[in-house]
Amino acid sequence: MKRFNEKKAACLSSAELKTFKGQLLYWIIFAILIVVALCSLIPAIWAVSSAFKKSTEIIADPSFFPKEISWEIAKTRVVDAWVKLDLAPTIVNTLIRSVGELISRLVVCGFGGYVLSKLKPTGSKLLFVLIVWTMMMPGQIRTVPNYISYTAFPFARNYLEEQGLVLGVDVLNTFIPFWLGAGADCYAVLLFKNNFDTLSTSYVEAAKIDGCTNYGVFFKIMFPLSMPIVIYESIGVLSASWADYMGPLIISPDKVTMPLKLYHMSGNATIEYNTYFMGLVFGSIPPFIIFAFFQRRIMGGITVGGVKG
Amino acid sequence: MKVKKTKPANASNDVNVSDAGQTAAIKANKDIALLSVEKLKKKMRRRNNIEAWILLIPTVFILYTMVWRPTVMAFWWSFFKIEGFTPTDEFVGLNNFKIVVTNSYFVPILLNTCKFVMWSMIIGYIPPLLIAAGLNEMVHFRSGLRLLIYLPVVIPGIAAMLIWTKMYDPGEIGLLNMALSWLDIAPYDWLMDPDFTIIGIVIYMTWKGFGGSMLLYFASMQGISTELYEAALIDGAGPFKRFWYVTRPAIEGLLILNFVRQIIGVFQVMQEPFAMTDGGPNFASTTLSLQLYRYGFLSAGRVGQAMALGVIIFLILIVFTIFYFWLNKKVESRY
Repeated sequence: MKRFNEKKAACLSSAELKTFKGQLLYWIIFAILIVVALCSLIPAIWAVSSAFKKSTEIIADPSFFPKEISWEIAKTRVVDAWVKLDLAPTIVNTLIRSVGELISRLVVCGFGGYVLSKLKPTGSKLLFVLIVWTMMMPGQIRTVPNYISYTAFPFARNYLEEQGLVLGVDVLNTFIPFWLGAGADCYAVLLFKNNFDTLSTSYVEAAKIDGCTNYGVFFKIMFPLSMPIVIYESIGVLSASWADYMGPLIISPDKVTMPLKLYHMSGNATIEYNTYFMGLVFGSIPPFIIFAFFQRRIMGGITVGGVKG
Repeated sequence: MKVKKTKPANASNDVNVSDAGQTAAIKANKDIALLSVEKLKKKMRRRNNIEAWILLIPTVFILYTMVWRPTVMAFWWSFFKIEGFTPTDEFVGLNNFKIVVTNSYFVPILLNTCKFVMWSMIIGYIPPLLIAAGLNEMVHFRSGLRLLIYLPVVIPGIAAMLIWTKMYDPGEIGLLNMALSWLDIAPYDWLMDPDFTIIGIVIYMTWKGFGGSMLLYFASMQGISTELYEAALIDGAGPFKRFWYVTRPAIEGLLILNFVRQIIGVFQVMQEPFAMTDGGPNFASTTLSLQLYRYGFLSAGRVGQAMALGVIIFLILIVFTIFYFWLNKKVESRY
């Protein structure tokens, strides 16, 4: 038990781990953690294994793992589900939505943070206070007024409809509300502002003397220097657009994205159980790819966005 | 900025007063030079202002159309009659609010929402802390275990909800009933049981969400100095005493903030009951937010009530939110 000797003192110290009582406590904690890890895994494993079962087997003869499995069966299951659920356009839609949201979040909130932090024009103090207050506002109240304004964007509603004059554009069933909505994140603006505050103003001045415009300063200097925030926000935006089904259900029911597809699947009695689970597996793959990509950052530096404790 | 601008002017005045022997020509020259510097500064400031506000246009436009205006409009329109999705000019006073509050389901729905908050506090508040503390002690497989425990957070919400809906399936195909059948126990209704449905959804929410708060606690526990523990060790404090007197005070601020944040978050719960039970059985898991969605988009001609309910939820939550920010300031000033 060499590792015990090197352990830093916390609630258990290396001296205590040499006694029987200390070791007992350590292994009890270890066992509990194993159980917790199993609990977090079992539903996911069950979903994957059900996806590869025969539909009749799920109903008639329930068991945790599929009764018969081979490479051929697995392949037909995957292809079958893909064709039945018609996933290709769904995935394209979700990609369009998530990439647009990503750009909007980074550019709009980044610009906001940059101006509030470095340029500080007249009136930016007031804007800052407004943004902090907006962050406090619960969002539920906005659902219906937003929906009404989407029929006559960018106006609040069709004011002159009775006179036969249609102002504004109907943006329902497009991705525009999501793209714009991703930029309307006060928390992200403040996060960017706080991060830019830690960067020296000399960078900006030096670049400006060399003839750099504000856009140049932002994209060539500020952005690369605040990669942790950029990655944190990217992960947030991307995983949200692969998980949000309520937004598309209300705003763009015709443009089916992955989460909406999964939601519709749950109310559709003609879809067989194995296809259902395979759909859930497909829906989970993109977030897992994002997670695998940024795993280090997420597990190590997520406090970037958390409260200071 | 203003102070800086006036400073050089004052300084030059002082010089002029003390150095009265200067010729008028030099003085005039100096004034002209100062004037042009002032002018240039002003010009640059104006240019900076214009450029900065051009950069701010997208942010302000989006915040105005998507956040500020709808919030104000919801308050305004909740006092007017709304036909379909078109607000009319007919002022109805508090009529919309009256319809919402006198609805026979309003009180049960409010209680349901409170039950969600209560159960999520009972089931979901303490475990992330204990697990983070346990992980902090591990010397075997620490990062592996942390990764596995964090995994449910990665699964997208709707997929996880549907997996759990099938796990809770009242038939034999649900995982939980399958487990009961291995133990020769009769299948249970799970989410179809009005007494259990909220607890079931809260168990799912805890499973899905506790990885995130676990990671937060874990990160701040890693920041606690080892010397504090060693000092406590020398003073003869046992493992549990050390947890109570060293670990707890160090993360107390985070704990309090998470407490209020969880109340605010769970009070707005909508997606989970909507996807898992559709608010049933017989309204037993309907929350205020879900009812708002129903008023707004599922039952025709009740959009006015949706606005009113939105305002009610807003007023309840804003109290908690202001409290949260007040607390946040206090906690930050303490560390």
